[in-house]
Amino acid sequence: MKRLAEISLKGQPGAFAGSLMNSSADLVARACEGDQEAFRLIFERYSRPLISFVYDQVGNRELAEELTQETFVRAYRGLHTLRAETKLSTWLFGIAKNVARESLRARQRTNQQVDLDDKLVLNLSDRGPVPVKQLLNKELNEVIQNSLALLDEDKRLVFTLKVFQQCSYEEIAEITGFSIPKLKTDLHRARTEMRRRVGQYVRV
Amino acid sequence: MKCDDCFNLLEEYIDGEAIERDAAQVSAHLITCAACAHEFETLTAEREVYARYDRELAVSPALWNAIAARTADSRPIDSASRFSLGAWLAGLFATPRYAFAGAAAVVIFAVLFGIVFLRTKTREQLPPELTANKTTTGAPGNDRAGVVRPNRGDSLPPIGVKAVPRVKTSATTGSRPPRQRDQSGVLFTDAAFTDIEDKDTANHVAQAENLLRSVRNLQTSDDDEEVDVSYEKAESRRLLDDNVVLRRDAEMAGKYPVKKLLGELEPFLIDIANLPDKTTPTDLRAIKDRVQKTEIVAALRSY
Repeated sequence: MKRLAEISLKGQPGAFAGSLMNSSADLVARACEGDQEAFRLIFERYSRPLISFVYDQVGNRELAEELTQETFVRAYRGLHTLRAETKLSTWLFGIAKNVARESLRARQRTNQQVDLDDKLVLNLSDRGPVPVKQLLNKELNEVIQNSLALLDEDKRLVFTLKVFQQCSYEEIAEITGFSIPKLKTDLHRARTEMRRRVGQYVRV
Repeated sequence: MKCDDCFNLLEEYIDGEAIERDAAQVSAHLITCAACAHEFETLTAEREVYARYDRELAVSPALWNAIAARTADSRPIDSASRFSLGAWLAGLFATPRYAFAGAAAVVIFAVLFGIVFLRTKTREQLPPELTANKTTTGAPGNDRAGVVRPNRGDSLPPIGVKAVPRVKTSATTGSRPPRQRDQSGVLFTDAAFTDIEDKDTANHVAQAENLLRSVRNLQTSDDDEEVDVSYEKAESRRLLDDNVVLRRDAEMAGKYPVKKLLGELEPFLIDIANLPDKTTPTDLRAIKDRVQKTEIVAALRSY
């Protein structure tokens, strides 16, 4: 099986020219050679979706940041194991999923509740008048976040990957290790549960 | 295309995952069916709401600094330096390893000794009349060496005596005996697991049949008075979880008729599970009609 690290464009004419220079395969190949700048570009490209994804799983900002850091460190150490046929984003989401799950398991073992951010708790009395639209958006964010927290782990995982990260069924199956029928069932149930809680904000 | 088919495909359609032929059929159906079009619009509106979800997360420079600090003094771990099973096996057979060969021989000897000991011991425990049966009543088709059956009668059949359970059961009840409560010490075979799964599936199908009958028999009034289906709904949710697991098990075991039956049952369970506690007669009637039309109850009954 060919690994991405083995794909080096060095020595090929125009190898580092134009957009090809920053293709995922090339960035991985360069990062494998120890090029920190290439890895920084990978970080810039994927840090935002990954931190959002981790945050959706754990519901806590600081923890999401820590876990995203851990995800990238693990990714860096395991770059050589990335197969050529695997998408970099899928691989990174897979690592992030494992990191988030480990964290949730550890919290469950220590009987700690996963704390939702208190940032979204509406406490607007000392902030002066707030435009209605902004208020509604804040409320909606809070409702969505709380609804996600109430989904069980598998459903939350599948739902966030499909609805927020726009992954295909095949990608979700690769990230989660679930079969396509299972993830379709989980996704349907997650949508139904979310609809029950978020439905009042949906205008048809 | 029927509304049910469209409804089942709608999520895949909106996710852009439906195959071309299905997508074309759904598109055509949505033009002609107001109910499905409404469901489609609801899903679209939901997607827009989720698109507005703002976690207000910012990737701080400190995050990269922390990652850079942790990765700066090391290069990615080279695959060559990782443990490789192939290399390990190659090394193992490259030069003679007498210690390994000795250890393997000891393990093989211990296993053989254990098997011989167990067989001898179980023969000693066998009552003489059953020992006699062994030589006379063993069915050729059942004569798989080393197969251990689950304990269905009063005592644990010994290893190697294949015909004994059959003799005992036919002599006592003549029909399938109930599963014994205390099965500690029994080595299960795949056949035993399959048997238990079959029983679970049979129980599940019977419960689902009862549920659908109950739904079918619910009375609806003509004055649009809401019907309380909270019990049916709760029951359906419970069965739905079991159904998914059993359907997957049946698929993995290659029991396609069972898988098909459970697959046909699932939409009904989903529909009932998604009803509000007090539903309108119209929604209920739609489900009842579908139960009637598809003859799912008869299919479940014939399982």
